[in-house]
Amino acid sequence: MKLLDIHNLHAKIGEKPILRGINLTVNAGEVHAIMGPNGSGKSTLCQVLGGREGYEVTEGSVHFEGQDLLERSTEERATAGLLLGFQHPVEIPGVKNIYLLKEALNAQRAAQGLSEVDTFAFMKQVRELTKSMGMDDAFLHRGVNDGFSGGEKKRNEILQMLLLQPKLALLDETDSGLDIDALKIVSEGINRLRGSDRGIVLVTHYQRLLSYVEPDFVHILYQGRIIKSGDKSLALQLEAEGYQDILDAAS
Amino acid sequence: MNPTRAALPQWLADHAPAAPLAPAALQQVAREQIHAWGLPSVRDEEWRWTNLRALNQPAPLTSAAPAVSPLMALLPDALFIRFIGGKLSELPEHCPPGLHISRLSDAAPDARQAAFAPVAANANDALLALNTAHADDGLLIEIAPHTELSAPILIDWQDEAAAYAATRVLVRVGAHSRATVIETAQAADTAALWRNSVMVIEQAENSAFTHIGLGLDGAARRLTDRQFVRLPRDARFTSINLQFGGQLVRREIEVDIRDTGAHCNLFGLMMPRGKQVLDTHTRLTHGAAHTTSDERYQIIADDSARGIFKGRILVAQDAQKIQAYQNSRNLLLSPTAEIDTKPELEIYADDVKCSHGATIGRLNPEALYYLTSRGIPTARARALLIQGFAQEILDLLPLPALAEWLAERITQTLSQEIPAQEVPVQKVAGQEVPAQETPQ
Ligand SMILES: Nc1ncnc2c1ncn2[C@@H]1O[C@H](COP(=O)(O)OP(=O)(O)OP(=O)(O)O)[C@@H](O)[C@H]1O
Ligand SMILES: [Mg+2]
Repeated sequence: MKLLDIHNLHAKIGEKPILRGINLTVNAGEVHAIMGPNGSGKSTLCQVLGGREGYEVTEGSVHFEGQDLLERSTEERATAGLLLGFQHPVEIPGVKNIYLLKEALNAQRAAQGLSEVDTFAFMKQVRELTKSMGMDDAFLHRGVNDGFSGGEKKRNEILQMLLLQPKLALLDETDSGLDIDALKIVSEGINRLRGSDRGIVLVTHYQRLLSYVEPDFVHILYQGRIIKSGDKSLALQLEAEGYQDILDAAS
Repeated sequence: MNPTRAALPQWLADHAPAAPLAPAALQQVAREQIHAWGLPSVRDEEWRWTNLRALNQPAPLTSAAPAVSPLMALLPDALFIRFIGGKLSELPEHCPPGLHISRLSDAAPDARQAAFAPVAANANDALLALNTAHADDGLLIEIAPHTELSAPILIDWQDEAAAYAATRVLVRVGAHSRATVIETAQAADTAALWRNSVMVIEQAENSAFTHIGLGLDGAARRLTDRQFVRLPRDARFTSINLQFGGQLVRREIEVDIRDTGAHCNLFGLMMPRGKQVLDTHTRLTHGAAHTTSDERYQIIADDSARGIFKGRILVAQDAQKIQAYQNSRNLLLSPTAEIDTKPELEIYADDVKCSHGATIGRLNPEALYYLTSRGIPTARARALLIQGFAQEILDLLPLPALAEWLAERITQTLSQEIPAQEVPVQKVAGQEVPAQETPQ
């Protein structure tokens, strides 16, 4: 089943065209990796899918479970089952992490016509997840990402993902800034989400992550287009040879 | 008499009470002063930002339908005092040992004298003079030495059922005693009572007193309020000033730190909406060496509302080794709202530590986007961010139940609102005025 279907997507930021015809289909059960040099448009693609203002789609379409994604608001996309893991999660002092988690879960439940989550069950679940991410409970009572280290922020993104159980997780460089242990924990978290009814898109620069979370497909994004797709061996090839040959071959 | 000054509006003269409480000589002086000064105008230095034009008209009368104060359920132990339309209507049945509460008119002459001790100096003080001339009801709260009141005293002002009220309260806190007074003001949104009140707080050595001023419902309420606090040796005063509504609220808090070891906290949060004007002026004098103060004020202004904060700190010449911290952080939620914030430091001593900073920012669009990307509806996300900002001040409340209730109330109120204007994401970068730290 097609979860995400991107067709000829063009987008600009301000007057600057960034995405120049992206085609990508993610089926339920698949893990895709998107790689590519700095500035090629990977984060832009994620933000366009997230519905960030200021990112204007000029051409093409995106469907999520067969429905037009682009006409929906950011919160509707999220409650429909899309989760964006940010490359640079913002710090929100004053809003406790635990509130964010609860509000987000309740928003999702409301969209599904469910009642608010039972506080006791919620706390129990959150504590378990926090522990599984190697995080201390104290993180729950701090402001969202407030003063978190780079690695802690990324773990926090995965914590949210595991709680919300999105149908499609779009993780933008969740592996950067992680030490070896944290990378393992984060990878295990991602693997736990993996399942026949879900899709995962990993944006990454490193083969490291992909050895823990084996992708079914690897795509190379360059200058706003996917210039090459392959299986996991493509990532290995990149690691060994760098981008130059592939970019040369594509141009 | 200064001929350029406007006279007191006629309706006020018509409302002059029959039996004011101030000692006759003080009343006489005050009457002459208000005759000369009229109401303060924007030409008076301390009133530059606050126009009292609204007071030129009397309020339409509303019927008294006193609401049950929500704080009664929240603080079931509180000693409950109620005023309706500026008239005392309820006193606690029993007071714990060491606490004496009475109607000011029943108080001994010396207490009445003390209650009216602060004297107006010039036209900036016109409302103080007006209160001295008119105050016809009020309270004496007396706490004996070595008394620790575990329950707060709650004064519930139901600001309805009259057009005008002038009240005077004297609080005396004995040596080594501790107490908390909470004043809440509320009214129906149609009630436009103007209450002009004065509270005089006399603390004795090593006493600790907390005053919480809570402006709740009543979109049309008008409150002008002035507080005088005197701190002797090792005394500690905390003011927490939380204003959530009112057509016009102007508070002036004056603290005179007179002796070594005394400490003063001035915390405030004002959240004007619609066309409300919420204003606080604080004046803090460090008059002795080795004294400290901590001042934190926040304004969150929405719609076409105005928030005003002016914080004056005066350090006298021989007040060496004092520490004074002042910070004013503000949030502008709409392009038509206005925030005026002004720190004013006057330092005559040379060995002091003073710092102050003021920032005016907007909601962070990145944060708003982040929250909505987790499925949280925009209005709710906005409410969470605003409440998160306010939380810094709410966290300073010594009563956790009250802090929690207020936080929930803020988010509830804001979540129901459709933002008048979508906060533009990405287009507006936070217009932050950087904080200035000025070590002296
Ligand atoms: N707000 C913006 N205004 C103008 N240009 C922008 C803006 N945001 C991103 N860009 C540009 O868009 C291009 C793509 O950026 P993007 O962040 O999508 O790259 P990326 O592939 O994620 O890179 P990296 O690997 O470094 O994260 C870059 O040239 C970048 O400078
Ligand atoms: Mg990127």
